[in-house]
Amino acid sequence: MASPQKLPVVILACEIMKSMLPDLLPDGLVDQLTYFDYGLHRVPNKLTWTLQEAIDSIETPSLIVLGYGLCGNGLNGIRARQHTLLIPRVDDCIAILLGSHKKYMQEFEAVPGTYYLSKGWLESGSHPLKEYHEYVEKYGEKDAAWVMDQQYRHYDRLALVAHTPADIDKYRAQAEAVARYCEQWGMRYEEILGSDVYVRRMIEVIAALEKADDDFVIVPPGGEIRQEQFIR
Amino acid sequence: MSAILEQLSAVVIEGDETKSPGLVQKALDEGFTAKEILDNALVVGMTEVGIRFKRGDMFVPEVLMSAEAMQTGLGILRPLLAASGAEMLGKIVMGTVKGDLHDIGKNLVGMLCEGSGFDVIDLGFNVAPEKFIEAVKQHKPNIIGMSALLTTTMRSMGHTIKALEEAGLRAGVKIMVGGAPVDREFADRVGADGYGSNAPAGADLAKQLMGAA
Repeated sequence: MASPQKLPVVILACEIMKSMLPDLLPDGLVDQLTYFDYGLHRVPNKLTWTLQEAIDSIETPSLIVLGYGLCGNGLNGIRARQHTLLIPRVDDCIAILLGSHKKYMQEFEAVPGTYYLSKGWLESGSHPLKEYHEYVEKYGEKDAAWVMDQQYRHYDRLALVAHTPADIDKYRAQAEAVARYCEQWGMRYEEILGSDVYVRRMIEVIAALEKADDDFVIVPPGGEIRQEQFIR
Repeated sequence: MSAILEQLSAVVIEGDETKSPGLVQKALDEGFTAKEILDNALVVGMTEVGIRFKRGDMFVPEVLMSAEAMQTGLGILRPLLAASGAEMLGKIVMGTVKGDLHDIGKNLVGMLCEGSGFDVIDLGFNVAPEKFIEAVKQHKPNIIGMSALLTTTMRSMGHTIKALEEAGLRAGVKIMVGGAPVDREFADRVGADGYGSNAPAGADLAKQLMGAA
């Protein structure tokens, strides 16, 4: 088997990562990036099939980096085939945005009912206000308001996460508009300074797989992603 | 299946809660029993909703509206089902586990279990292991149902089962788990007695666990 480091690199990522990856990746790797719809996590089976199909379509044995976490168990069961898979060992993108699994767990313990917003979620993803507008168009105002209430009534906090103070400033107005809408459920608004350290470390690991520690999952050729690999 | 029951199940799938009570009444007028209407129309519709949701052909809002359509229909059937004197299948204590505040799926399973003839005690969301233990002592259920939407919170199911074991209560109850990230392997690993891949499957599982399916 060729040393994994010599393998060509392919990155398959959720479009939420658009806000981080292109700025941090070395030029040669930016060209190897393919994004997928952020909404796939809501239908974990679909996320599995979509990524499996993308992996299966790559013929040359490669190092395939998945810009995902376990994502609602959507990555469980994905087969590496002839490739080597590298995945951040996180439940979802929030840990990546915050910089570590530990930080995510701290926030989670503090306020479980938190809806996280980020540059990626505001620009490429969704948020309650956008969702509401989409529902109004599809189901009418009354049903939309009822559905939103069913989905968000137990949440306590809306948190904007960015890895620089400048980005927090830049996205504050948008986040505050969402926050005003979410006040109906008593959600308070907070800003959290995250970190790009997880992505930076991932880039180091791509260059030298032996640098992978227990913050990363590596699946060798013939292997399969398993849920328990992510459970800490 | 008769036209009226087919129509009613279609209304559940469409999620039109304004039409379902009228159709339920019509089906009663045509001579169907409450149990027949429930099993052959409302539950049939909801089962199809579960399948479509899992496949990604239906989304949360539509599922919610379908549940509402079933709920309004069930509202008419409930007193009739109770009056029919059918024995309760058993008692279920259920809740969304600690750290998780998503209760849409859990509520659906609760409604379907109730429709199937269970006495359902809903502990709500963010239910800590101690609260499950307390409820088991108080209500002496046959089954505990646990739900989670997130992989960050589903491990709390394992913690709860362990806490029940430590309290010496595990042997006396069946445990079923469910929620988007939960699969059979996970259910086996944490020591649950069963897993429901969607809400109707959860209600079926409850019946199986009672030896009634």
